Amino acid sequence: MLMALVRRLMLSCLILFMVAVFVFAATEVLPGDALDVYLSSDDLAVMSEADIDEMRQRFGLDRPAWVRFWEWFSGAIFGDLGKTLIDERDIVDLIWHPLLNSVILGAIITAITLPTAFTIGSITGYKRGSRTDAAVSTLTIVGYSIPDFVIGNVLIILFAVWLALFPAVIFVFSNASTSELLAVSLLPALTVIIGHVAHQSRLLRAGFIETMNSEFVERARLSGLSERRVVLRHALPASVIPMLNSLALYVAGLLAGLVVVERVFGYPGLGRELIEAVARREVHVVQGITFWSASFIILMNLLADLAIMALDPRVRSAKSA
Amino acid sequence: MPILEVKDLKVGYVDVQRQTLVAVDGVGFSLEKGEALGIVGESGCGKSTIARALMGYLRPGGEILGGSIELAGNFVFDLGPNALRNLRGEIVAIVPQNPLSSLTYHMTVGAHLQEILQFHRGLSAAHAKAETLSLFEATGLPEPETVYKRYPHQISGGQRQRVVIAAALACQPALMILDEPTTALDTTTEMQVLKLIKDLRKKIDTAIVYITHDLTLTNYMCDRVLVMHDGKIIEQGQADTIFEQPKEKYTRQLVAAIPRVDEPPKREKIAEEQLGGKLLEVKELSFAYKPQWSMAQMFRAVDSQIVVKNVSFDIRKSETLGLVGESGSGKSTVANIISGLQPPMGGGIYFANELLHPRGEKRPPEVLRRIQLIFQDPLSSLNPRHRVGTILTGTIMGFLGVSRREATDRAVVLLEDLELPIGFLNRYPRQLSGGQQQRVAIARAFAANPDLIICDEITSALDVSVQAQVLDLLMAMQKKNQTACMFISHDLGVIREVSHRTVVMRHGLIVETGETEALFEHTNDPYTKHLLAAAQRRDDSIDQPQFRLNTGSNQPSERPYQS
Amino acid sequence: MSEATTWNRIQRSPGTMIGLALVLAHALVAIFAPWIAPYEVTSIVGFPMSPIGTPDFLLGTDNIGRDYLSRLMMGGRTSIFVALVAIAGSVAGASFLAISAAYIGGHYDDIVMRIVDTMLAIPGILFVALIVTGFGRSEAVLIFAIGFSYMPGAIRVIRSHALTIVPLGYVQAARLRGISVFRIFLRELLPNCIEIITVEFALRMSSSILAVSALSFLGLGISPPTPDWGLMIAEAVKTIYAAPMLVLLPSLFISTLVVGLNLASDGLANAIGLDAARGLN
Repeated sequence: MLMALVRRLMLSCLILFMVAVFVFAATEVLPGDALDVYLSSDDLAVMSEADIDEMRQRFGLDRPAWVRFWEWFSGAIFGDLGKTLIDERDIVDLIWHPLLNSVILGAIITAITLPTAFTIGSITGYKRGSRTDAAVSTLTIVGYSIPDFVIGNVLIILFAVWLALFPAVIFVFSNASTSELLAVSLLPALTVIIGHVAHQSRLLRAGFIETMNSEFVERARLSGLSERRVVLRHALPASVIPMLNSLALYVAGLLAGLVVVERVFGYPGLGRELIEAVARREVHVVQGITFWSASFIILMNLLADLAIMALDPRVRSAKSA
Repeated sequence: MPILEVKDLKVGYVDVQRQTLVAVDGVGFSLEKGEALGIVGESGCGKSTIARALMGYLRPGGEILGGSIELAGNFVFDLGPNALRNLRGEIVAIVPQNPLSSLTYHMTVGAHLQEILQFHRGLSAAHAKAETLSLFEATGLPEPETVYKRYPHQISGGQRQRVVIAAALACQPALMILDEPTTALDTTTEMQVLKLIKDLRKKIDTAIVYITHDLTLTNYMCDRVLVMHDGKIIEQGQADTIFEQPKEKYTRQLVAAIPRVDEPPKREKIAEEQLGGKLLEVKELSFAYKPQWSMAQMFRAVDSQIVVKNVSFDIRKSETLGLVGESGSGKSTVANIISGLQPPMGGGIYFANELLHPRGEKRPPEVLRRIQLIFQDPLSSLNPRHRVGTILTGTIMGFLGVSRREATDRAVVLLEDLELPIGFLNRYPRQLSGGQQQRVAIARAFAANPDLIICDEITSALDVSVQAQVLDLLMAMQKKNQTACMFISHDLGVIREVSHRTVVMRHGLIVETGETEALFEHTNDPYTKHLLAAAQRRDDSIDQPQFRLNTGSNQPSERPYQS
Repeated sequence: MSEATTWNRIQRSPGTMIGLALVLAHALVAIFAPWIAPYEVTSIVGFPMSPIGTPDFLLGTDNIGRDYLSRLMMGGRTSIFVALVAIAGSVAGASFLAISAAYIGGHYDDIVMRIVDTMLAIPGILFVALIVTGFGRSEAVLIFAIGFSYMPGAIRVIRSHALTIVPLGYVQAARLRGISVFRIFLRELLPNCIEIITVEFALRMSSSILAVSALSFLGLGISPPTPDWGLMIAEAVKTIYAAPMLVLLPSLFISTLVVGLNLASDGLANAIGLDAARGLN
């Protein structure tokens, strides 16, 4: 068991490293270095060779790739993402508040989505084939098919344009207070929640149905136990474990979803910073945000696997083969 | 007053296209208090449906089309859900076939019993625990205190089944239904569990309905027997009478099809004089699973450490060598090694005096042609996307290099030899029955004109009567082509029928090798004697403690064979 | 089960049939748009922001004065094209890698799976943002980025299925026929993975169309003046108070296409006997 834990941790570290290599290579090696990407053709027309060389030296871009990689990587895992190209601001300073804002939004979304999806999934799974199930099924397919930005804009039109309840976009500074933040996060959260609950409840429903059809549930029923007991004590715990497996995928989807929704509502989060950085071709910022997001997903994956190890007795006692 | 009275029961299943398939067609029988009734039949005869119907339960799609079931004065299908729940567990309980998948994997074994005792008998937690431990003792579980805390996958198959039996007996039901309870266990464990049930039954005076496909088991366990076929009862009577003097034609065929361990074979093997010199020689083969350093294999459940140690034997031309052993004995591994699917760690394989390459892919095509392998599960051994004709002609053209027309002609001959209609050339495997599929697999094996055929449990997944037919045809093909055969099985009766010589394996080692008749009649080896006793359902097979498999969870006591 | 009954089961589900109808409708519009659209998509032909039902402009005009109906009809073409090429390439590549990894196993399998894990750690949008930052915004880059971002998920699913097939008798028997690995791949493995590959294709088509639209909306995808629904929504947001229909119409178009695709692929998966939702794991 301990061996399995250690190997799992080592695997995570390996993946983290590979992600770093990939992220770095995609922006600072393959297309040329950061400066090549950053400077537009206009800039190139204006600047002289000497100026460009000088910029290169200033940013340390004249050194070989692996040296640059190592410096960036060792900084990134300990919280230093380097400086922006445009005005040499510390990147972490730049994204810290937006990061927190996104985390808050994400947490609100998750806290509401998961229990709701679990409930809907289990109930529709239990009542499989009924009209409730069929109706909810179609609703959920529609729910996760409609893009986030469509739902967001429709909500804006609904609440801001037609009902005039909220202003469409509230401009908030990144370091807004918590109460301001909560007010602003209502619509974005709702937008994402709709799609996610639709999607997750379908996955959970499928898992629940599979569990309810298993032999051990049949045996429990045939032992004369109450239906309540069979579902709550035998079936439900068994359907939680597969749910943990898809947790990491969910988180990945969440991060992606936030980018879109933040743009729709102008929410001061990490997604907004990301889009701006891409527009300005701030290579290091994009690298940093991507790397930290990926690290978070790897962490979630690891936690999910650890949770499974803790909860599934079959895994607990498996020897590391 | 019978405790169970079934009158003219009709049960059907409704499929997606709203067609009803009748599974049980007018079945009626009764059961007295404390009596043991066996229900015997081949797959699809309706016995499993009856088993669950007795508890008022039907699998999804099931419908009662007529008749009644009266259990301890209650008409089972008239009861409401609450009454049904009381019935189940307290008056009737079931022991299902596969203990690993019937126990809830995330609950301890003790918890399973605890909840039944607390729910049905209203016992307090402490009282329930004490009762659980005494039930564990009564069912022969070693170290009940320790087992109590274990999870189902941590104990052996035989122990799991004892747990399920304990759970069934917890409320001392008037009727216990056993649905093929030992099919997933190997012979040694099987006898232990059956003896246990026999003893317990006498103590508690519980009536039993014992469902199985194996008449030798009902002969051992039951007072009376019902023989079913196609949803109907063919014959009813005293267990030993049915077995020794069956009246109906179907029953007689069924009994005749059972390969006997205690009698000489019914079929004629290839004559001794026609056997040739050494064809295959296996020298000191060994194999063990090494832990693989593979990065993500974190959660892979541990395979039983099947090891093959220093296995040596030979097979002569046209000879059939039987390889027999319980699960975990390594016999399938030996087959895989010889055919080249698994390279050994030590030892060599000599075919026609040439050393074979350990990996099948690297052997010359001529060699591959001369050794053919037939698998246990016929459906998965045939590509579902290829028609039978393609499967056969593909093999023929590939190995014999003939034209398509010639190949088709040969395929037709093969089908005829195996008594399959020529129209099957255009059919897909899933359109055939299990027995027919296996015959196609045999045809494919013979299509290449091999010198040696390796049969790995090829009839273990088939019904007894289908098995008999397949064995007849296999031996006929062998005679026609003078092909040698390595026949692997756990079923001693089948081995006696087909093989000239027999090798007995246990835990990866060869225990005994010898002429089949001599081995079966006069062996002195204690393990072989034990296997023979268990196969003949003799109680003395249980009293050999050294052959009792260990209680550790990794000790193989499960047969992977599905029936 | 024969192909006939699969089709029967598909027909019995109203959701699936609706889905197929929607997809078909969109496909027809997208294919024939250049001929049936009333105006050129880039020409300014009318008064800006004319409402729906204006004579000559059935669905009004956009904020510059281009005919909206024409733009809407043509709007799907680029997204669908990009998505189609990206997913076709992605699923093809994924099938090859997944099946070979399942069959060959060993270190090759390990390496493939580690790379898959790495890619799965990066959310799709971030991945595309990364590529676009480095390589610029063009249709080719978009196809490449989207295709690659969907590959690891597809590899995982197809590989799990392939792993259940590899140990089966007929594959093992094929090993002993002396035929090349490539032939085993082609004749034994691939045909028996077709079903799951088809389902994967259908599922990923819908999410990649969504992705292209979302990316265009964010400004990372298709560039103006090419009409694209996502892009049109982004432009229309600026005048959301004055003309909300400019946002709602392309929204309707995207939604109906994706809903149709999802209903259809869900029904298809059910008819084949898989559970589409689970397949994503």
